[in-house]
Amino acid sequence: MVKVAMFPPNSLILADLIERKGHEPLALQKAVRKKVVDPEIDSPPMNITEEDPIKGLKYAAIEVPSGVRGRMSIIGPLIDEAEAAIIVEDAPFGFGCIGCARTNELSTYYLRRRGVPTLELVYPKTKEETTDMVNKINTFLDSLPKSEEENNG
Amino acid sequence: MAENVCINPDLSEEDMDPEVATRMIILGPKADVSESEIVNQLHLLGLPLTIKQTCYGAMVSGKEEDVMEAIKEIRKLDQYNIFTKDRGFPPGDPRRCRGHRKGPREGFHQMEKEFQLLGYVSDALKNPKKISLEEEKCIPVDELKNIIESCSNGEDSHNMNKKNKNKNKDTI
Repeated sequence: MVKVAMFPPNSLILADLIERKGHEPLALQKAVRKKVVDPEIDSPPMNITEEDPIKGLKYAAIEVPSGVRGRMSIIGPLIDEAEAAIIVEDAPFGFGCIGCARTNELSTYYLRRRGVPTLELVYPKTKEETTDMVNKINTFLDSLPKSEEENNG
Repeated sequence: MAENVCINPDLSEEDMDPEVATRMIILGPKADVSESEIVNQLHLLGLPLTIKQTCYGAMVSGKEEDVMEAIKEIRKLDQYNIFTKDRGFPPGDPRRCRGHRKGPREGFHQMEKEFQLLGYVSDALKNPKKISLEEEKCIPVDELKNIIESCSNGEDSHNMNKKNKNKNKDTI
């Protein structure tokens, strides 16, 4: 089982396809969940603790808006954990927690820099494009190396 | 004064448990099962879960291992048309619930967009194909020139042969 980071990090289609192939999707919701059950935070993810911008500093410079740093404090550790990545560009989601263009750019930049096996696709609009995307993702997931734990076991 | 949509929730002990996970079960447009069938089946499993029927399918919340077992069982109903994803907030959380927010919840717009593709995704899952992940690249100009030259040379020699044959025929 390989930990696969995905972009957009809260995508239903990507998370589902990764899980169907027996890998672990590094979904944003799991990271948000940790914040939700934290009794110190009133209204996550709108409220952030003083630790979050500090964590975000690892990924974004001090001049970068605090919103980007706050987002990166959640998305960044997921990228660090990744053993493979799937990036879908031009996804039409500009809402909610994923609606920050600079965070999106920074996330894809870090995913590319990680040096893990990465599949880059464009968000499909037609049936043919979707079929192609699903087949490419499945082929990519099949080709992923088994994680170290499995190899040792 | 604007209404406070960032309510401080009074979450139950179960919702505050870090081992508890929430999952959304989303039915594709070509699904052979309905939302209520899914919910009935989830109840019949007899697992200690909180189950909520929604417009897109259902939501289950409970210990992660129970939730995953329920997902595994529920997928068997219609393997290619039942999709699932994690949810950060527990079911009915006032910070995300549409009823309290006076508008669509944040994840709705993304789900709406992705739902438009779910039918195609299920078709692709039913008919899987192995394809190459290598990008198609343009042929370098020099290589193209070589191909054209080799073709034109081949044609020239072919034409020459034809002419010679015709000449031979004439002389005979």
